[in-house]
Amino acid sequence: MQRSLLHLPIKRSAWAIRTSNVARIAAVRSFASEASPNPEIYDIVVVGGGPVGLTLAASLGAARATSHLKIALIEGMNLASIRDWNPTPDYFANRIVSLIPSTVKLLKETGVWKHIKQERVQSYDGMQVWDGMTDARVEFDWNKLLGGREEGIDTTIAHMVENIHLSHGLLQRLEELAVKPTMIDKTKVEKIEYGQMTEDVDMRDWPIVTLSNGQKLGARLLIGADGGNSPVRTFAGIESRGWDYDRHSMVATFKIEDDSAFPKFAYQRFLPSGPVAILPLPGNFANLAWSTTPEKVAHLKSLAPEDFVAMVNAAFRLSYTDIDYLHNLKSGVVEETKWRESVTKYPDPPTIPVRITEVLEGTRASFPLKMKHADRYIGERIALVGDAAHTIHPMAGQGLNAGVGDVYSLVKSIADGISHGQDIGSSFTLEPYQSERYLPNNALLGFVDKLHTLYGFESGPLVPLRSMGVEIINRDWFGLKRFLMSQAAKS
Amino acid sequence: MSGRALRVGAPLSHSYRHIALRKLSRRSTISNAVFQQWVSRDARHNSTSAYQGMGGSPGSPNGGGGVDPVEVSHFNALASSWWDAQGPSRLLHLMNPMRIDFAKHCLSMGIPGEGTRAAGEGEGTGKEGKGLSRGLTVLDVGCGGGIFSESIARLPNTSKVIGLDPSEQVLGVARAHAKKDPTLAGKLQYVNSSIDEYTPDQQFDLITLFEVVEHVPYPAAFLQTCMRHVRPGGWIVLSTIARTWSSWMTTKLIAEDLLRIVPQGTHDWQKYINEPEMRSFFEKQPGWGSQGMLSMGCLYVPGLGWRAIKGSEDYGNYFFGVRRDL
Repeated sequence: MQRSLLHLPIKRSAWAIRTSNVARIAAVRSFASEASPNPEIYDIVVVGGGPVGLTLAASLGAARATSHLKIALIEGMNLASIRDWNPTPDYFANRIVSLIPSTVKLLKETGVWKHIKQERVQSYDGMQVWDGMTDARVEFDWNKLLGGREEGIDTTIAHMVENIHLSHGLLQRLEELAVKPTMIDKTKVEKIEYGQMTEDVDMRDWPIVTLSNGQKLGARLLIGADGGNSPVRTFAGIESRGWDYDRHSMVATFKIEDDSAFPKFAYQRFLPSGPVAILPLPGNFANLAWSTTPEKVAHLKSLAPEDFVAMVNAAFRLSYTDIDYLHNLKSGVVEETKWRESVTKYPDPPTIPVRITEVLEGTRASFPLKMKHADRYIGERIALVGDAAHTIHPMAGQGLNAGVGDVYSLVKSIADGISHGQDIGSSFTLEPYQSERYLPNNALLGFVDKLHTLYGFESGPLVPLRSMGVEIINRDWFGLKRFLMSQAAKS
Repeated sequence: MSGRALRVGAPLSHSYRHIALRKLSRRSTISNAVFQQWVSRDARHNSTSAYQGMGGSPGSPNGGGGVDPVEVSHFNALASSWWDAQGPSRLLHLMNPMRIDFAKHCLSMGIPGEGTRAAGEGEGTGKEGKGLSRGLTVLDVGCGGGIFSESIARLPNTSKVIGLDPSEQVLGVARAHAKKDPTLAGKLQYVNSSIDEYTPDQQFDLITLFEVVEHVPYPAAFLQTCMRHVRPGGWIVLSTIARTWSSWMTTKLIAEDLLRIVPQGTHDWQKYINEPEMRSFFEKQPGWGSQGMLSMGCLYVPGLGWRAIKGSEDYGNYFFGVRRDL
């Protein structure tokens, strides 16, 4: 609770700190007449080849106003493994994203969605969300709400897609473009500095990016799609404020019991240590996203596969006291949960998820959770998108959707700047992007953060209140449920 | 922000067209009255240069529009902050997309073609412009730090832009800023001259006078000098402020004296020219306006930016475009 009131210093990676120092020193030194190779000039340099960076490159290439721009994209990892991704039907990756309809609409408009293999996409139009302490429950189910599926109404809440699948589709789209961006992978940004003044040009406010292969790129507009520890943001001197949740998110892919008799739902149970969610995948597969303390995550990762499976099944069935106790067991979870479940009353599917039967080997992984928001998204010749601008708790599955929303808005601002003859790096071109995105993102970050805090209580006056709130929503009083569901779809 | 407010596209061109048509129809009915009113004002205030100039009186001693040294020194003082995004010229920067939209809209009604055109082709069909393959040539008179000159030069259809300004100091800022964009080098040139002394070797497709006529001692002579440099079928596009109580309140009292978002002394309210005066001036110029004369009022709304507002040309800032007959 207090944590959220304090602005804890954010630990930056050593690499980011080094970059920032180098960049600052270099910026001062750049007036000196050292001999350096001339940078190659680009309209836009995107740092970061994750889903948001790739969506940005694809959107710029697809929009008529921006398709002529000379663009470079820099990524530290090897993109070939994503380009050559060749999935088999018996395996799903552990990192998946939930794409809300407005995101899919944008991916359709930019010609990306046709490269997404629909047999590997699982959409769902219902959610079961309940309180682990009081069992107060919200069912978000368009079909129940509308009294059956209506023609012409898209009732999809979200589409689950593997991260690598989306990135693969984006790379395929980039291949098709008439003016292809220059893709520079397996290459790190060594330093960012300001350019120099010569007889003919004054590049003292142009970011010059030096890569680990010695290449130098001059950017009319430098866009950081480079994640929570964004070196571009550091270079621009933009502060990012927030806090660590002291929670990690544990992910894994499972095989599940036959659920073909039930509609595909997403399930989320709020435990005081954090929400645990099962998200649907095609066929008898599902994905886990369990946010809990780093110690509990370490425990979950150390368990034998069958004990881990029993633990996850228990997380949707047993009381929080039981679950807390089970976290102390190093082995024998299967037997222990069998006994405890036999004496516990819990609902049947599809109110809760069907049992998982097997965890796919090598899919257990985790990452730390943060809430961070940059003070600004723009500077002179600088823009930040996605996690570089805002890092959000993943419980609502909105991180990438917010990043795609950024991309859409930024491309619009750039296109508008071009049609009005503005320098696309000038703050006048970029201001509309910031004013369109900052407040909605801030509200989303705040909302998800408050949920995290609200459900962090095991007892106390807020526990019955939150259940009452949930009941009111669930009965669709004041049309609240419809409102929330339609907002979630739009975002 | 303001760029978003006003896009040259199908829906908005209707509203422009609407304004243009409304104005054209109004011209025939009330222009006489406006003219009378304007003449009588002229008689009463013959010491006020704005009216004097617009009335077609001789102008400056050398017959040109003249340059006011007080104005030059005022803008010299502003030079260093011209491109500061949060500086005193911020409102001009925010207005610039609207200037581009208005100029684009005027040009979409017709521009000088490759060859000579038959006279009966009608006004505002938008067809004449298709033949301009050599690229648009633009003279931006009173270009200041180059806010508009740079942006029109960046448009792909533009081949050459000359930015003209009597202040060498301000042009120094313009030149320095243009060096920040390597793509401008071949297209954009700045010339330190008044329009009276400027002797180009060719006429231009578009001459722009943004926020200029209100700073000129003899606007009529100034405009007539500019008109000589427009190629038949080309345009003069300008923006200025109407001389009304509301413009005095907004540009002098509120913007300069109270909020101080515009530097004090930027405007001389006495020099403002009203839209009907401007219209009536161009109606009297032979060979002008029969194929296009339009205006559009706009208003700065704090928090929202510049907005085109129908009818506001009678109260404050307005754009005015007039085409030289083909």
